[in-house]
Amino acid sequence: MSAQEWVALVFLIAGCFFYLAGTIGLLRFGDVHSRLHALTKADNLGLMLVCASLAVLAANWRITALLVLTWLLGLLAATVSAHLIARHARRVEK
Amino acid sequence: MSQILGLAVLFLLLNLVAGLWRVARGPTAADRMLAALLFGSTTVAVLLIMAEWMAMPALRSVALLFVMLAGIVTIAFFGLPADEDER
Amino acid sequence: MSVDLLIDGLLGLGMIVLALQVVSERTVLRSIILFVVFGLVMALAWTRLQAPDLALAEAAIGAGVTGALMMMAWRRLLIINPEHSADTPRGRSAVAIPVALLSTALVATIGLSALNIEPHIDTAGRVALDEMTDTGLGNPVTGVLLLFRNLDTLLEMAVLLIALLGARAISAPARPEEAAVVETTTPLVGALLATLVPLSILIATHLLLAGTNEPGGAFQAGAVLAAGGVALVLTARLQPAKRPGLATQLAVTAGLLAFVGIGVGIMAFGETLLALPGTWAVYLIETAMMVSIGLTLALLFAGAPALVGRRA
Repeated sequence: MSAQEWVALVFLIAGCFFYLAGTIGLLRFGDVHSRLHALTKADNLGLMLVCASLAVLAANWRITALLVLTWLLGLLAATVSAHLIARHARRVEK
Repeated sequence: MSQILGLAVLFLLLNLVAGLWRVARGPTAADRMLAALLFGSTTVAVLLIMAEWMAMPALRSVALLFVMLAGIVTIAFFGLPADEDER
Repeated sequence: MSVDLLIDGLLGLGMIVLALQVVSERTVLRSIILFVVFGLVMALAWTRLQAPDLALAEAAIGAGVTGALMMMAWRRLLIINPEHSADTPRGRSAVAIPVALLSTALVATIGLSALNIEPHIDTAGRVALDEMTDTGLGNPVTGVLLLFRNLDTLLEMAVLLIALLGARAISAPARPEEAAVVETTTPLVGALLATLVPLSILIATHLLLAGTNEPGGAFQAGAVLAAGGVALVLTARLQPAKRPGLATQLAVTAGLLAFVGIGVGIMAFGETLLALPGTWAVYLIETAMMVSIGLTLALLFAGAPALVGRRA
């Protein structure tokens, strides 16, 4: 394997690790508000690392830009979704 | 490297199987919706890896669509009264 | 065992389990959420079957329209009949198991006999692929949809228009407060819309133009436009209106008008009906179809004959 592939591999494994962390958080945390962390933090870090890994593998500016855009949109969607779900959960609790 | 990308896809899919437990169990509607969104973000990663692995660049557009439209279903969910799902 | 086989097996098994859960869950809301998850797995399955066009359509329709549509339908049912949540019809029908066994037997019989069929060499697919080189289109799906079976595509556009008219005929227009679920003051939603709506127009245009040579096309592009519209309706930026103006009427029928206009007009030059004269006609018809599909889906979602911007 070339140096490029080694770097990609490290990013990919780190990304998969954070996805695993997100899933464990979703399964193990005690209530909705704790579980929100799995969506907003671990998975987005995982997505960033997977995107980084694929960008290194592709070595192409057009693909890299698309991957960065995907990640940024993921951040935005996760932020708004987590906020709305938390408000929904609060409304039910009252 | 191709083999490793395939293994990463498999690993993330197994992650989804584990996440399915939360969709099934709840206990609140918000929990299920949250799990569905986690499904979405994992699917996006799977699609991006598959685009490289199966050499199908169009899958990056599919991933982009999923990530872009993920917010819409949450907005609709926000409008639902959820107490019916409580046990 | 190879990784490919494991992935495909997991996806196939996952789809069967999810489909079973969707129809057998105890409450409607759970079924809806599981259906959203099912759509994600479905898109992955299309991908594994080398059908990126269908994966694109599944992503745009599944993530952008149907999940939200079912949730809004459920919400409206609860508004009409608040008692509905208590008596959600559950409990298995007596014919469920016999029907399930019969369909399993049917699928198994057809599947097993299909395994023994020799693949035919002169299939329509191969003929279409051979003819593609003369058309100037790179994406065989677009070629088939607009050149080889364009009467079907034309009639699909007509069906979409009839669906809109039918929905308008049988249902009272939605009141503004029924269509929207998020007050305009809710934080962060504006930021999402400010990104999502311009981007949906950009990506729809990209899918439309790319559709002639790579996966994409008018249907996917229209669905993406509709998703942008759905987001605006849900957040009260677009509100249901009582009567459609000329612009709405033109936009809803544009796909059909362009298709019929060019398809019939070409006969004046001695061609046969619907023999499209070149790629410019394909682009023109696809653009008109995208606008019609996008607006029709958004109007069907809003349950209204027309949409207007919110008056401040």
